[in-house]
Amino acid sequence: MDVFQNLASGFATALTLKNLYLAFIGCLWGTVVGVLPGIGPVAGITLLIPATYGLDATGAIIMMAGIYYGAMYGGSTTSILMNIPGESASVITCLDGYQMALKGRGGAALFIAAFGSWVGGTLSIVGLMLMAPILADFATKFGPPEMFSIYLLAFILLSSLGHDFFTTMPVVLLGLLLASVGMDPLTGVIRFTHGVKHLYDGLGFVPVAMGAFGMGEILAATQESAEGREVQKVRLRDLLPTREEFEASVGPILRGSGIGFFVGLLPGSAHIVSSFLSYLVEKRVSKHPEEFGKGAIEGVAGPETANNAASGAAMIPFLGLGIPTGPPAAVMMIALLIHGIRPGPLFISEQPGVFWGLIASMYIGNVILLVLNLPLVSVFVNLLRVPFRLLFPIILLVCLVGTFTVNLDTFELIVLLGAGIFGYAFRSWGFEIAPLVLAMILGPAAEISFRQSLMRSAGSFAIFWESPIALTLIGASGCLLAWNIYRSLPTQPEEA
Amino acid sequence: MVNSKRAGGLVFLVAGVYGLILSLYLPMGKWNEPGAGAFPLIVSILLCLSGLFIFVRARVRDVAAWRDILKRQWIPFQIVLFTAGFIVGLERLGYLLTACLYAFALLFLVSRYRFWVALGLAVLIGAGSWLVFGKLFATPLPQGVLSL
Repeated sequence: MDVFQNLASGFATALTLKNLYLAFIGCLWGTVVGVLPGIGPVAGITLLIPATYGLDATGAIIMMAGIYYGAMYGGSTTSILMNIPGESASVITCLDGYQMALKGRGGAALFIAAFGSWVGGTLSIVGLMLMAPILADFATKFGPPEMFSIYLLAFILLSSLGHDFFTTMPVVLLGLLLASVGMDPLTGVIRFTHGVKHLYDGLGFVPVAMGAFGMGEILAATQESAEGREVQKVRLRDLLPTREEFEASVGPILRGSGIGFFVGLLPGSAHIVSSFLSYLVEKRVSKHPEEFGKGAIEGVAGPETANNAASGAAMIPFLGLGIPTGPPAAVMMIALLIHGIRPGPLFISEQPGVFWGLIASMYIGNVILLVLNLPLVSVFVNLLRVPFRLLFPIILLVCLVGTFTVNLDTFELIVLLGAGIFGYAFRSWGFEIAPLVLAMILGPAAEISFRQSLMRSAGSFAIFWESPIALTLIGASGCLLAWNIYRSLPTQPEEA
Repeated sequence: MVNSKRAGGLVFLVAGVYGLILSLYLPMGKWNEPGAGAFPLIVSILLCLSGLFIFVRARVRDVAAWRDILKRQWIPFQIVLFTAGFIVGLERLGYLLTACLYAFALLFLVSRYRFWVALGLAVLIGAGSWLVFGKLFATPLPQGVLSL
């Protein structure tokens, strides 16, 4: 009954005109970002950080969450109509969605993608609503050794979910080192600043995120061009699927919800992993696997449901433990930190209005997106006619001025430029940049919990295995590390 | 020999060595009260080791690929150069003028729009962003020589 009472108060918060407007703006911008190739949800959220300065924390997170799952909805539009993924989680939708469009069933594919996204998103919000408070309550019993062991597991999981553990792990370590720049949080000693006063407060999350995700993505996108591709036309009356198509989608939607939810709890690019996993599962359980890749509705329903379910589930560790498990959550955390709010075990008990307002807003946002994405599909498709060579100067300018407005300091633009160059270089070299930003955000808290643990134990490392929770988590970290090392071992060549 | 993974490994190795050397100048404290240098030192050592591992593990590619790689970097290099120019000019020339010049450089030299089209779009984008951020959001943007 407590949950329902809290949810009711959340709806009271979310249904104010201002918050409804912010949810709509977030969903609309998220859909636009999802439709436009070259700008991902992370860059989309990052670009709107400056717009949140004048908002309260509730309004800011409502708008950002709208962008996050809006992008998941929007990404399927270009996948289905142009064979170009609007964002990375929609890559797999290209396989069958575009084939359906070529057969004149693009409308049905769009409908099922939107409907499945709504079901997956709604079910994951139910899970978030029930699990996050329980997790947060459990985590309030955590001390420094337990918190450090969670961070350690998070860092190793982050490194594991890149395509190669040994190329992702140093990115995480580099992020931890960059997080050390500035004043030591425990003793006040200045580290790695070389006398530059601008660095006393650290490198700054906003310029690094804007540079790595905004500018870095633009620099990489200039190497590719989505212009000149044909767009499959869709009429409003062709949007409804047939009865057979709808019935065939029910199973994949339910399975996709479950897969997306559980994968979404893991750090890394969960929305991408969940969509791929869902596709593989659907192909495995299908009675007609040979139809996959040729326009099977199941190949659209499952993955699109899964990536939205993962987006909702990713909010559980983010809000309950204060651990952003992916780049979008990391950027949302930056926005909340600017407003003086730190998600974590105490967040739900100390800021119930923000948490339950967000939950209610996510329910409303999912309905807004269902309404936006179907009748307005032709409007969004027309966005694709705006050439990228016109868009990217605007995006770069917004990145620059948005970063400048944080502290009105030109030095932060230099940090942005450096982060942009690094972000682009890392992408070109095959390294992932998102773990670096995540590690920068979690690094200070991880260091504090590590040092506080040793202070409590008078220098004894036994404190990490005297606590059953810490021991379990460190044991899990060790197993994961061993598995990654085993996975990286060279395989035996096949005999001729 | 050019190799993207080796380049990345070298970056991590250099960052690790840099962190290691500077950490040694920081107070380490004791085990029961770790100082400011302890955590960065541990991270730097791990970074050195992982950077070295990537560098050694990376396979070597054909040297001739250098030219293709450099050709592909021309547009990103231009964007970085113009962005640096924006940063340098922001406080001196003011936001409005710098934004218009920056947008023009990108539209004309990178996006290859015709001169007058690029100029018109640049003024639109620069002035538009100035109105949104400077007037609508009331952000105190640098005024520079135009005092706008």
